[in-house]
Amino acid sequence: MGRRRVGLVAVCLAALVVAGCSASGGGAGGDRTGAGGGLRVVATSTQVADLAANVGGDRVQVTSLLKPGIDPHDYEPSPADIDAIAHADLVLENGVGLEAWLGDTVDSSGFDGPVVDTSQGVRLRMAGGAADPHIWQDPRNAERMAATIERGLAAAEPSAATTFQANLAAYTRQLQALDSEVQRQIDSLANKKLVTNHDAFGYYVDRYGLQLVGSVIPSFDTSAELSGRDIRDLVAEIKATRVKAILSETSLPPRTAETIGREAGVKVVTGEDALYGDTLGPRGSDGDTYLKMIRHNTRTIVRNLSGS
Amino acid sequence: MDPDLVLVLRRATVAYDRDPVVEGVDGEVAAGQSVALIGPNGAGKSTLIRAVLGLVPLTGGTIQALGRSPQAARRQVAYVPQADILDAEFPVSALQVVLMGRYPRVGWVRRPGAADRQVAARALAEVGLAERASARFGTLSGGQRQRVLLARAIAQEPRLLLLDEPFNGVDALSQDLLLAALARLRAGGAAVVMATHDLGLAHLACDEVCLLNRHQIGFGPIGTTLTPELLRATYGGQALQLRGDGVIVARP
Amino acid sequence: MNLFEPFTIPYMQRALVEVLVLGALAGAVGVLVVLRRLAFVGDALTHTVFPGVVMAHLLGRSLLLGALAFGVLTAVLLTAVGRHRRVGDDAALAILLTSFFSLGVVLISRTRGFTADLTVFLFGRVLAVDRTDLVQTLTVAAVAAIVLAALHKELVLRAFDPEATAAMGYRTGTLDLALNLLIALVVVAAVEAVGTVLVIALIVVPAAAARLLADRVGAMTALACLLGAAGGWLGLAVSYEASVDHGVRLAAGATIVVVLVGLFLLAAAVAPLRRRRAAAGGHP
Repeated sequence: MGRRRVGLVAVCLAALVVAGCSASGGGAGGDRTGAGGGLRVVATSTQVADLAANVGGDRVQVTSLLKPGIDPHDYEPSPADIDAIAHADLVLENGVGLEAWLGDTVDSSGFDGPVVDTSQGVRLRMAGGAADPHIWQDPRNAERMAATIERGLAAAEPSAATTFQANLAAYTRQLQALDSEVQRQIDSLANKKLVTNHDAFGYYVDRYGLQLVGSVIPSFDTSAELSGRDIRDLVAEIKATRVKAILSETSLPPRTAETIGREAGVKVVTGEDALYGDTLGPRGSDGDTYLKMIRHNTRTIVRNLSGS
Repeated sequence: MDPDLVLVLRRATVAYDRDPVVEGVDGEVAAGQSVALIGPNGAGKSTLIRAVLGLVPLTGGTIQALGRSPQAARRQVAYVPQADILDAEFPVSALQVVLMGRYPRVGWVRRPGAADRQVAARALAEVGLAERASARFGTLSGGQRQRVLLARAIAQEPRLLLLDEPFNGVDALSQDLLLAALARLRAGGAAVVMATHDLGLAHLACDEVCLLNRHQIGFGPIGTTLTPELLRATYGGQALQLRGDGVIVARP
Repeated sequence: MNLFEPFTIPYMQRALVEVLVLGALAGAVGVLVVLRRLAFVGDALTHTVFPGVVMAHLLGRSLLLGALAFGVLTAVLLTAVGRHRRVGDDAALAILLTSFFSLGVVLISRTRGFTADLTVFLFGRVLAVDRTDLVQTLTVAAVAAIVLAALHKELVLRAFDPEATAAMGYRTGTLDLALNLLIALVVVAAVEAVGTVLVIALIVVPAAAARLLADRVGAMTALACLLGAAGGWLGLAVSYEASVDHGVRLAAGATIVVVLVGLFLLAAAVAPLRRRRAAAGGHP
């Protein structure tokens, strides 16, 4: 019987050592933007979080579940995320199927407050039988999303409604200015043919009159794989239409894009200079707010598509 | 059938894909009798044992154990394999191995009861290992393990006992204890069939012998059947060697 | 490091019950897998159940039923392959394992937006377990436990001495099938919690650790259950603390596996001491 006892002792020892002193450290994980205090808002994506921070100002405390650079299509919420939702006053989501994991997560957390779908009222782009979830790439959609967010905030914190309205008005003006600016810049391009890494830029392309020749990953989702024929067709298309560059994304591995670029003999833009597709950039980068992100993308596109 | 006959073989033949492994085995074993299966490697001794156990089908002839087919008679037939094929690291005690012999009687779902434990303990005592009951099976010597397996068979309270090379690599003390236990079983009315290379021990333990080399060369009382000519026919001219004490041992 | 506080939260409580039950069940079944050196077959089963899970998802049916159907199918197939397997013929098993698994991946890749689900099937999402999932797990676990208890002594006999098992009149093929079905049931129960890739660790590691410390099947089984459950509990607590107090993401399912391996190493370290004690004071 001594053997069994030793075994049990081993297990108990391990548990005791690990239990040690319980440091009940405070603070959940998650990226916070906006000043402290006020309405606790949890947003799923970095873009929605940024919009919410701008509309809410210092009357809200915004936590983003997804961090900069993380792929939103395929995400496993951590205990910190679930806790954040559990303690939230309001949850904001992008919608259009971007966050398939949100439903279960909200259920798990026991949160029974309002979950606002910021895609309400946005005209959706359809492709291949599915709706494109990357609605924020068109600043006019961002305006609608911000307005939806404002309604949600005002409903949750009526005493700050006037502040939210004022913030929304100011931000909307910035979005409209951005829209005009981008249109001007794109209009200046002679060659508007674009190849990107995945189908994240549909709304931007439609709004500003670019021509999307194709994507390396022909899907809204980042996991699909290119078949041999797809690659061949894309390379042929690139050569035939004289696309100048393939623009990759900051959050995706560039290997497939580079392979196709080599095959087709065109430049591939990767790394820091690449486009922000699925998420904002980390703090301090060139795309750490929504406005900066759109501006960065525009600059990158213009730079690579102009010239001989 | 004569109720005293435990095992009857009539021209028993086993073949795999038309290739006979052992054929034409013909003989009878009565209660209390003991038969040695003797022959070189590949002679079909193990196959014959498996046929008696009903584990391989006959392609010719018949086998009747206790008046029934081998499958039907299994409850009354016990098998003692060679101990060295078993995993020495397996976490079981000697007594637990012996207790396994009671499982068919205990049946599904239920666990062995006090009566079963008593039978098992007695069987272990029969082979002289009562004080090693709680030792892990793998910590016992080769001979001791073989004795435990015999005890397991004893615990099954069989009327027919089949052993495959029970004395291989077994120390002298264990041999004696095995022989004694087998003798007691026979005295109680069980029949014994054992495959063995050791002609000397065959003489000590058995009163009949079946000579096999893929077919039966002889089946009868050991005195008249275990003759040099028949042995030479069985072993196909392989060397027979005299041991120091004057007993003939066939080199396998 | 707090071992109790996280479990005052409802979703953590559900996760805890799930991993305690799974850990204990997988440990008990794992004892037989380890004693019969069937770890590779067990691993094959976890891979072959995968397309069943995918198909069930595609058809909108219960994942549990899909996994169960495939679990039964592949248990039968693997039993058949196993019986005709000669030494070194793991190739047949490997072919079965990879072809089924690839089938599952092919099915998944045909649809858009599937990565999230793929990750869940492979690695589980124990923190998203709801009451329905829990009830399903408990039901499957109860069925498996009943079957295991009913057949236990025969399964141990089969593991120890297959020849004698056959000689005593038991059909070893049926017993093998029963064990493979048990493994399939464990995989099915664990799919939502730790996923098909990690469940093999749950089956093998606690039992392997218990093997080092126990001299009897009974003690080995009890220890395996204890270690399996402890691994689940500690793993959840560590993953929670890392996420909430330190902002470090440690996937819950994988953390449980790492903790189990840690317990195994602990057992491996303690085992030689035990042997020395036995040699000094026990029988020669």
